[in-house]
Amino acid sequence: MRMRSISIYLLLAGFATLSVHADELPDWSGVWQRYEGNGGIFDPSTVKPADGRAGSPGVRQYPPLTEAWEAKYVAALDLAANERLPDPISICGTPAGFPRLLALPDVYEFIVRPEQTWIITENGPNILRIHTDGTTHPPPEERWPTFTGDSKGRWIGQTLEFTTVSMIGEAHTILDRSGLTLSDQATVATRMYLTDEGLLRAELVIEDPLALTEPWSVTRHFRRLPNGTRAYDYACAENNRNPITSSGQTLTLDTDGNVIDKVIDGEVIE
Amino acid sequence: MNRSLLICCCLLIAPVFSLAHHSSAMFDKEQVREETVTIREFQWTNPHVWIQITLENDPGQAEEWSIEGLGPNGLFRNGWRPNSFKPGDVVEIRFNPMRDGTSAGGFIGAKFPDGKTLGRWQ
Repeated sequence: MRMRSISIYLLLAGFATLSVHADELPDWSGVWQRYEGNGGIFDPSTVKPADGRAGSPGVRQYPPLTEAWEAKYVAALDLAANERLPDPISICGTPAGFPRLLALPDVYEFIVRPEQTWIITENGPNILRIHTDGTTHPPPEERWPTFTGDSKGRWIGQTLEFTTVSMIGEAHTILDRSGLTLSDQATVATRMYLTDEGLLRAELVIEDPLALTEPWSVTRHFRRLPNGTRAYDYACAENNRNPITSSGQTLTLDTDGNVIDKVIDGEVIE
Repeated sequence: MNRSLLICCCLLIAPVFSLAHHSSAMFDKEQVREETVTIREFQWTNPHVWIQITLENDPGQAEEWSIEGLGPNGLFRNGWRPNSFKPGDVVEIRFNPMRDGTSAGGFIGAKFPDGKTLGRWQ
């Protein structure tokens, strides 16, 4: 009996920390799409040229990178210009991770509940779970780098504020096909809210003691698609006819799984 | 009879092929190839749809080519259907060929005998 009372107390204590009730939450229902295009460029505000697409030669962004990370970025840009930048998601096995998942093609769903918000990307697998139940980030010894990290937040009126830690960083993720990366020491503070124009706005402030010299602000938007628009399965490995070589070349397979490229890693195939 | 037209153009038809899953760098977006082809197979699959076609690369020489499109989810939302191309259909098709001469390309647009089009076809 005593144990039951303790359980009920803990349950009530948990709910008592919810910042809002369900009827106070904003309407983020439906299916959404990224508003900024540019081929998935992560930071449209610093990309040059302004209409440059991620991965295109001569296109780069200008975050406040440390010297070491600038060198990494320049090397990645060179790979991208030579069509050899390995994109982790091209192997159809791992998520894009956070914060890149805010800059993906295809569509999004934002599932809002008092205790948790889920950002689901159709181009996945990616689910960002944002806990708003009053819990805090686990202590360091209870977390490890993952693709989406650990997100904890709260509702301030109609604005969702959350911080994300323990992201896997450059080990298995990039921010876009220009090759921009963060370290696994990065943290992201995000504010999301509906604008007067009906766009869902995400304001990110990224800090990273290894990659950045100062906080990096990135803003992205999503537009709601017409009623009735649906999201579907994205099974990347279903019929992936574009394996990647160890040097980063994208190959092409025929319907039987045979490589049909006439040049592989610079060697002409007879 | 197949009509083969290799259009070397930078601006005539802007490239529309932008892939989510992998780089599209292997396609020569400076060139647009337009062909009248016969559909062999339409693979309505993730992460990309594939249109297997037969074309005459050289007179009298029928070849199978693989034309890669975007993902089925986004294409469905833009009017494509799993049976948009049927085996035996004869269609006009435009694509960016691969840079290395491989018998494959990135889909731009298609025009059917009844005048309907998919993708970009001005």
